[in-house]
Order: sequence, then structure tokens, then C-alpha cells
Amino acid sequence: MNEAFDGKEYMYSGHSGCPGCGGTLAMKLALRALGPKTVVVIPACCWAIIAGGYPQTALGVPVLHTGFATTGAAASGVRAALDARGEKDTTVVGWAGDGGTFDIGFQALSAAAERGEDFIYICYDNEAYMNTGVQRSSSTPWGTRTMTTPGEGWKRTEKKNIMEIMAAHRIPYAATASIAYPEDFMAKVKKAASIRSGLRFIHVYASCPTGWGFASQYSVKTARMAVQCGVFPLYEVEGGLSYTINDVGREPIDDYLRMQTRFRHLAGDDVAWVQRRVNEERERLEGKAAVSGHGKA
Amino acid sequence: MKKVLEGSQAVAHAVQLARTKVISAYPITQTHIVEELAKFCADGTLDGQFICVESEHSAMASVIGASSGGVRTFTASSSHGLALMHEMLHWASGARLPIVMAEVNRALGPGWNLWMDQTDSLAQRDTGWIQLYCEDGQEALDTTLEAFLLAEIVNLPVMVVLDAFFLSHTYEPIDLPEQEEVDRFLPPFSPKFMLDTEHPCGMHEMSQPPVYMEMRKSIQAAMETVPEVLAKVDADFASIFGRHYGPVEAIDCDDADVILVMAGTTASTCRELVRELRAKGEKVGLLKLRMFRPFPVAAIRESLAKAKKVAVVDRNNSAGAGGIFAQEIRSALCNCARRPEVYSYVAGLGGRDITTKTLEGIYRMTLEAAEPGLESRWVEIDEELARS
Amino acid sequence: MTRAEMDSFKVPLFFSRSNTSTEANRTGNWCFVRPSYRDRTAPCSEACPCGTDIPRVETLASKGLYAEAWQTILMENPLPATCGRVCFHPCEKACNRGELDEAISVNALERFISEAAQAAGAGAASGAAAAIVRGKASGKKVAVIGSGPAGLSAAYFLARLGHGCEIFESADEAGGLLRWGIPEYRLPGPILAREIKALEDLGVKIRCGEGRDLSWPFKDKGYAAVVVACGQARAMGLGVPGEELAKDGLEFLRETRRDARAAGGAAAAGGASSGGKVAVIGGGNSAIDVARTLIRLGMKPLIVYRRRREDMPAFAHEIERALAEGVELMELKAPLSLARDAKGIRLSLQEMKSGEPGPDGRRRVEAVKGATSEVVVAAVYAAIGAEAEAPWETAMKAAGALALARSRLLPGPLALAFTGDLATKDKSVSDAIASGKEAALALDVLFREGAGAVEARLAACRIGAGPSLSMELYLGGERSKRDGKVVRVDDLNTAYFPRTARMVPHIARPAVAPGSFVEAEPGFDAAEALAEAGRCMSCATCNDCDNCRTFCPEVAVKVLDDGRDINADYCKGCGVCVEECPRGAMVMGAEETKR
Repeated sequence: MNEAFDGKEYMYSGHSGCPGCGGTLAMKLALRALGPKTVVVIPACCWAIIAGGYPQTALGVPVLHTGFATTGAAASGVRAALDARGEKDTTVVGWAGDGGTFDIGFQALSAAAERGEDFIYICYDNEAYMNTGVQRSSSTPWGTRTMTTPGEGWKRTEKKNIMEIMAAHRIPYAATASIAYPEDFMAKVKKAASIRSGLRFIHVYASCPTGWGFASQYSVKTARMAVQCGVFPLYEVEGGLSYTINDVGREPIDDYLRMQTRFRHLAGDDVAWVQRRVNEERERLEGKAAVSGHGKA
Repeated sequence: MKKVLEGSQAVAHAVQLARTKVISAYPITQTHIVEELAKFCADGTLDGQFICVESEHSAMASVIGASSGGVRTFTASSSHGLALMHEMLHWASGARLPIVMAEVNRALGPGWNLWMDQTDSLAQRDTGWIQLYCEDGQEALDTTLEAFLLAEIVNLPVMVVLDAFFLSHTYEPIDLPEQEEVDRFLPPFSPKFMLDTEHPCGMHEMSQPPVYMEMRKSIQAAMETVPEVLAKVDADFASIFGRHYGPVEAIDCDDADVILVMAGTTASTCRELVRELRAKGEKVGLLKLRMFRPFPVAAIRESLAKAKKVAVVDRNNSAGAGGIFAQEIRSALCNCARRPEVYSYVAGLGGRDITTKTLEGIYRMTLEAAEPGLESRWVEIDEELARS
Repeated sequence: MTRAEMDSFKVPLFFSRSNTSTEANRTGNWCFVRPSYRDRTAPCSEACPCGTDIPRVETLASKGLYAEAWQTILMENPLPATCGRVCFHPCEKACNRGELDEAISVNALERFISEAAQAAGAGAASGAAAAIVRGKASGKKVAVIGSGPAGLSAAYFLARLGHGCEIFESADEAGGLLRWGIPEYRLPGPILAREIKALEDLGVKIRCGEGRDLSWPFKDKGYAAVVVACGQARAMGLGVPGEELAKDGLEFLRETRRDARAAGGAAAAGGASSGGKVAVIGGGNSAIDVARTLIRLGMKPLIVYRRRREDMPAFAHEIERALAEGVELMELKAPLSLARDAKGIRLSLQEMKSGEPGPDGRRRVEAVKGATSEVVVAAVYAAIGAEAEAPWETAMKAAGALALARSRLLPGPLALAFTGDLATKDKSVSDAIASGKEAALALDVLFREGAGAVEARLAACRIGAGPSLSMELYLGGERSKRDGKVVRVDDLNTAYFPRTARMVPHIARPAVAPGSFVEAEPGFDAAEALAEAGRCMSCATCNDCDNCRTFCPEVAVKVLDDGRDINADYCKGCGVCVEECPRGAMVMGAEETKR
């Protein structure tokens, strides 16, 4: 919090993000880290709207809107064009939600990773299709009620582990980040921008007061709790093999679940199951970090 | 310089001569074009980047990204690949990007069929792309070069259409232009807009009811300038390369009782038939369709209005409606005070050959018919099998 | 074709391209409850008798801005280097951090800051210290009797308010208890001398060797008021047979401060035959001071106290240090009588037992019937308390006096203000300084507006619930914009404060060596000070940590030259800023009562 900030923002006020929107906070911070020589590619997602309607834009950098499934491909094309023009020091960023990353956009992302494309793919994850009114995605956690997993039909499949999938592509850099840890997030964005040898992937937790059911002032707190109870550990994977944990807590999961109406229906057994799974995954992650020679950084 | 080239190769040479900077494509049978281009990029003949994407939808998305980034781009596809791109075809025209694509007319399945059929490109006729159909390898090369210039003037994407196998895989002697000549014809790409950190703006943002219709009208209006622009492009091309095309080509139409209308390599076959029949004194003509989008209403009216009968040969079908060229021709003529009877024939789907005999049969049927039926008449088909 | 020919077609090209910013949308109208910046009051500042702006001090220190931190203390307290050694730091007890891990070492930091500022050459009237200067001359002269902490403080604040001050001190050196009571190992002479000199640089005249009492014609000499800060110099007698055999502990301390060697010799002369064991009767700071001084003179002091250790009014850390240095403690023993003995003095003691707490909160003790004991010592020092000379007490109780929190004011053509140990309920250096300040401010109000305005004007300067007053508030400075509500741990966002223990100076304490009065407590080094100051949570006081601006999704936080503000054009009232403010310096919703 004490790192000097020069006051230059590349996101404007007046956008239509919900009060407390984690996704807008994430964009603001990412652009602070990247600066003006950045081009952002945005598919269908909340940010497709937040970015402004004609003739307005919410960003002080060039934005290209593209089709839902196409972030990985469109960003690749933009990169090729910038390189052909000699604009090699402009960073290309694909900025997509979880739906456009885990589901419909996954194919293009995977292909871009395999091709070793030179751009940063940032998935701001609010764990559902929020723009279309809170429908489940493959990023929605086990136990969540959404408009397509309503009532007793709450989601009974687990959140896809996108980091493991991206690690399996052996890209040079993949990292999780959180709006509650802004300095860590910005440092990771900067690090990603400095690596030019293949795709860099950042998975940033972007709490959603509207879709998760909590009062807007707890947006950052919810994100912090997710890290502190181990639901969303902060870690980096380099070359797909070397794991470094930045922060992961061991607080019990109960408060985190209880403070969001999307989880409030979960009974004791369910909560216990979630806790067990969180513990298992944390242990697995810690094992990977240990093997890599890095524990908690 | 004359060289024996496959139709695909001819297109690839045109793309290279046009100094294209970014090519993105996905493999599909019929894409010798992209293999040729991959070779050019690898050996440095073409100074550009080749992005091997994982689907046609992504191919179109990448060239949209690259074109937005301010460089000349190209892709190629066919049939199912084109169909998969459908969403992004709309995007390319809505984004007003001067993308050129070679589209090889191939049947859509099921049943799986790799051969010549026009339904795939015509099924995209509403996407806002200019469509130009080629008769032979030379025309494919020439039209590709013209496509870049046309696209960059009107800011609409252009589809250069080739018959599968009959054109794409046929070797012919092709006059390969010199780079210097092409440079005179086609200046370096100077985008009217692009992603630029010096002048940041948002592109393709939400456009609400108060403005969307005007944006659509702008596309329509741009399409309406194409006949004039293409005329100039054709004239410039002719002046440098000595070959002229036009939106349509009328062969022996002035005094024809029956004018046969068709696009693609079938027109080449038909020229042969017209020569044969004219030698026997039959008053038959051929109107070759080159430009399908925008639909050349003026040229159609001018060429066909005075004929008694018009026989449209469609190597395509819109199920529940009929041959698509025929529909559009009827539509172009319906408000003319004087108009011919339009007979619609569906032939040669899925690679079934259209010979001079086939075309002669169509001519005779038209000549002898008292009136056209409403529906299209399917030619050289096993009706019993079809209805089984 | 040429470019010009291409462009000549003028093809329509209207598509979705955005060149204007979303700033045209005043999303502030979404908001139904709005955040605002509201600096309030930290509990440490409220607890500090001087009302020092401690969060600000620590924030500055944490950035290495020691001169600025020192100036901030000087705004409220003229003797930071002194207090940094002898204050009983009630701030640390009130510190919110104490509920998380450990309280901030405010006292040790005050000491470090004073030394560091000094080393950096920051004088009271230099650089940014524009506030610590002599005020525009008011034409009024005030006499101060006594140059102890209360008198020095009163003179300091009066001088800053523009009044001419003269201090009359009966001893031959200034400082009062600071000079003559507190031992050298707690407060080295040069430190005190430096701070007194700064006062003289401010224009205060100190006349040593010139004692005064209230019979002196102050009015005729042109004084508008007299501040009585004479302290309590008369030691209380033991009140038992043989009490005349006991030496006055306060006098002993004075002698030691005058000439330690001589004092040591005198003490030793009386102690050789009894192995140097001497008794010190009393449980307050003076008793501890006497005992720890005796240790340094080669004696073996034994503190005799009628209650338990935890009941002793002396500062806990002082008791702890005394015991660590080898002072013995005899609890629950009251003196019965003193008698000469061949080996020295025979001290008879009554065994006591602890009972219920009395009205003053201290436990009553009662004699255990029949349980007595004796101890023979070389000498007995009495340090059971002190009182003022009779005339001062009488004058103070005159009718018509305004009883303020730490002083008494008698308005009149020659106003009298009674300060320091004379007037305060709690006897400590910091209370004395606070008392002098209160008297100075009260006199200033009296001069300007009359007696009727004194209480209201002072009430407006209270920090928190009081009774401590702030000079900055009196002068209408920036601090007066703050709310008086005290912020507790629940108002903070403690997620931003990882649990850490307080820093402990790594420098070892010097060994106690006979004849050596070197400073007994080691201080922080620079790294320790920075780290410890960094632990301060700056409760209730914005310190520009920038959380609000970092976390605002609307880019609606404005950073201005003199603070921060919310841009009402765009704030949607999400409340994240207030929630994430680590120090509770923001509020959500309706206006709170401001002072």
C-alpha cells in the first residue's frame, strides 16, 4: 500500500460497473501496472458493457471488442499486426471473464498458449456468466446457486482448475491474483508484461456483490477471505512446472461461505465437504511448491 | 510471366504479390491456398506472419484482430469451415474491415461431400461481405488482387469464390504479374482506422437503438458504392494488366431468345455450348455472373430485361425456396416494365458434373417450356432415389 | 490507383468507434449513501496528558521524518526528550494495537525522535517549525514561580501566545523535580538542559537563585498574572517515634544530583558497618529513585512498603528495573518506630495484610495483630510523599477559584494560576506539563475574553473526552477539523496489520556500577525505531496509505494538496473505501457530529 503511485489511471469514472465490482477494480489495477502502451481485447462479458457504449469508452488505451469465443485468436492477430508495424513494445492483453476463458473461449486460449503467442491473457473470474444474469460456468464452484443451477439443482460439479490446465500447456508464466492483494496483482502483471517468450496467463479473483449476494462494501474483504481460507491461493507457475506459493491461508471456510447468499443453502455436511476439498487442494499445491523448492514465498 | 499453376496457387501468388502481412487459416480440404502461403512465409517469399489457428472461427477472429491492428490480412476456407466462421463473418463486415478471403465452393454435409457446390458461400450472402465468383485460374488471381483494393476503398470484406477442384485444383497457364506492376495497381495499406496507442479509442462497443440502424445503413450505403468502385478498379486493372472483368459478362446476349445465367467454372463450359449452338443458328446467350454481392441489379436488368427467356443454372439450393441466383435475379427483375420469364434449374450439386450436354438440356427445356414453374427444376437427378 | 483516388470515393464509414470517455456519465447519482473522510481521535492522544497527536508523530517517524515528528510533539509538549525518558506512557495502555499484538512503544519512540531530530540539527525555530515560535507580543507579562515541568510548560505556552514570561526559581539551576528529583541515570542532565535552553531561546527568562512567594509585589512590577508552580517540596514525615532519625529521601536525591560523589561518600560513611544495607520507606517513584540511586552508590537498599508490590504507585517498569538491579523489596510492612542501634538504626516493622479496596481504589491494609519484626540498617530514607508549603495550599483554596481539570485559576487584577503537583490529582511529569499548558491557555482566555469564557474555550480544545487539551486546537490548526469520537479496534480494518511483537532495543543495558550514573535504559537504534513507528496503525488519522484510492472501482477518490475527498460526481456509494480504511478515518452515511 505504500508503493508510490503516480496518480495516472487508464480507466475512467462513469462506467456502468456495479457498485463494488471486482472486475472493474481488477482492470484499473492491471492498467496501472501496464501503462498507456497497451491494447486490450475484450470478448462478450461484463467488461464488454462496462467498457462503454458508443460513443464512449471507459479506458484510456485502445480497446478491441471481439466475439465471445475469440479472445485468444483476436489477441494473436492484434499482436501479429503490431509486430508487423514495428510496435513491439506495446503490450497486448486479452481480458476475458470466466465464461469466455473456461468455456466458450477455452479453445482459442489453448491454441494461443500452444502457439506460444506473445500476449497476456487475464481472466477476471466472477465465477459465473454474470453479464447475462448469473448463469453457471465451468468456473462456478461446487455448491453454488445460480440462475441455471437454482434451488435444489445447485451446482454439484467442481470448479475447473484453469491454472493446472494452463500449466499443462507449459507456458512461461501463469499466476493467480486477487483484487484484495493489489500490489501482488500489479507485480504479476508487470512480470507478465516483461516476459515475451510465450503466453502469460493471470487468473484474477474478481468478487461480484451482485451475483454472489453480499453487500458491496465487502467486495475486497470477500476476496481477501478467499485467499485466507485457501479457496483461492495466490501462486505462480513458471514453465508449467515450477510452483511458488505467494499466500494461502488456513482459516476455516465457514465465514467465507456464510457471507454470500449464493452459498447460504449449504448444510453442515456440504460445508464440511468443501472444507475437505479445500484442504486437499491446498496440500497438493503445497506439495508441488515443495517439490519446486519454493514454499510460501 | 506465364506459369502453369493450380487455381489455389494462383490465389496464393496474388496474396503474396499484394504484400499481405498477416495470414491466419485452418486446414480444410481445398486449402492448397494456405499451404502455398505457409511455404511463402517460411521461405521468406512473403514478408508476413502465418498464424496456424485451431478453427476457422479463430481464423476469422485472428484476421479481424490483425486487420484492426492496421495491416493487410487474408484467410481462406470452404464449406463447413466457412459455416463455422459465420458469426465472425458478420463481425468482419460490421467492423468495416478490409479483409480478403478466398472461399472455395464446396458442399455442406451431411452427407459428407468434398466437391463443388455453391450453397456454402451463398448461405453467407447476408453477412455483409462482397462476393466475387471466378471462372478460371487467371480470374482467381486477378480478382484476389482487385479484392484488396476494393476492400480498402469501401471498407468491407471481400470473398473471392472458387469452384472446388474444378478451379482450386486445376492447373492452367497463368499470367503471373510482376511485383512492380502490382505495386502500381495496389498501394500500401493505409488504414482509415486502427488500434493505436497514440490515439486510443474503443472499437465495436455496444451500439444502442439510436445508432445501430445508421451503422447498418452505412454498410448498405458502402455496398451501394461498390458497382462504381469496382468499375474503376476493373478499369485500372485492365489498364495495367490488359484484362477486364466487370460485375457480369454478357456473351451473345443482345439478340438471344434464351440467356443462360451462371457463375463459376460452369460459365467456362457454357461458353463452349454457346459457340456450338450459335454455329447452328440458335439464338442463345450466356450471362456470366461475377459479382453476387452487392447484387448487380443494374447490370442484370440491362443484360436480361430484353430477353424472352432466362435460364438460371444454380449449383446450390435454398431448401424450401429454390436456386439462390434465380431468386435474386427474379427479385431484380420483378419491378421492370419489361422482363423475361425466368426459369430456375438446380444442377451439379456436390460435385456432380455439368457438361455441355447438361447445359444443352437446360437450354432445350427452357426453349420448349410454355412457362416457368415456380419451383426450381432439378437436372440429371434420380428422382426416385431422391424421393425414397 | 493512388491513395487520393481511393479516398475520392467518399464511402460512408459510420461504425462503432468511441472517442469520448465515460466521464460524461455522472454515476454519482446512483449513490444513496456516501463515504467521507473523517479524521477522528486516537485513544493514545486522548490518554496522553499533553494531548500529543501521537498517530501523526508515529506516521512521520515511520517515514524517517524525525524533525517533523519532533515538531509535532512540540506543538503540545515542550519537553519530548525528557518525557521520552520519564513519562509513564498512559498512551501505551490505551493503544489499540495492544488488543492485536502489543502496544506501540510510544515512549521509547518519543525519546528516539527527540535525539534524531536533534542530531539532524532541527531547532525549534527552524525549517518547518513555524508554529513553535514566540507569538506576537500581547503586552502582557506573566510571572511563573518554579521551573519544574509545570512552570516550564506554562511559560512555553504563554510565550507562544505572545505573553512575556519570567520564571523565578529558588534553586541555583532550573528544572525543579526534573533537575533535582529524578536521578541522572533516568534523565541525564544535558538532555534537560538542552530542552530548557530551547525555552530560553523562545524568549522565556529564567531567573535562578531568585525565589518568590505570593507576597512579592507582582502587580506593581507590571505582571498581569502569576503561575504558581512551586511543586511539593516538603517531604512528609513518617509519623512514628524516631522519625527524626530518618533522612529525607527527596533531599538525598537533590544532594546526589548536586554532587554524586559527595552524596555517595556521605551515604557510605554511615553504612560501612552494616554491609551497606539501607532501608527506603515508601512505594512511589521517589522511593524507587532513592533505592536505585543508593545501589549506584554501593549500598544495598531495601524498600519497605506497607502494601503489596502491585499496589505500589511507582511505575511498574521502574519497580521491575529496581528489583533487577538488586534492590530488595519488603511488602506489607509498615514502620512502627526507629531507634539508634550500635550497628546503625533499628527499624521496627508491623506486618500488614491486604483487605478490600478503599474509596480511592487502592486496597486497604490492616495490621496483623501481634506480628512485628525488626531490621537493622545503616540508614533509613523516608520517601512516602511530599506536600507543598502551607502558604501555597492556602492561597490555592481561596474562594472564587475556577477548578479546571489539572489546575486552579483565580481571576483578578493579578490572576493566579495554580499548577503542577500542587493542583493535579495525578502527580507525574506529564500531568505537570499538561497542568502548565492548561493554566497558560486559561490565562490567555482570561486576558482576551474574561473568566466567563475560560471553561467553554478550554472544552473546545479537549482531545476526545478530555481532560487533555491541545494547543493546536486552541490555535485553530488543522487538527481542529477532526472529530472528537475516539476510534477503537472494532473501527479499524486489522487485516492490514500483520501480527508482530513490539521492537525491543538490542543494545544491552549497562551494568550497574558503583558511582556510575550513566543512562540506565538503552534506546532504539534507527532500524528499530523505524520498525516500531511503522507498527503504529495511525488510528482515526489518515496517513495517506492510499487504500481508498487503490480500491475505488470508480476512480472517485481525489487526492488534494491538503487532504483527500470523494468525487461525488462518480461515487456510487459502494463503501469499499470505508471498509478497507485500515485506520477508521472514513465514515459512511450521514454527517457525524463535528466539533
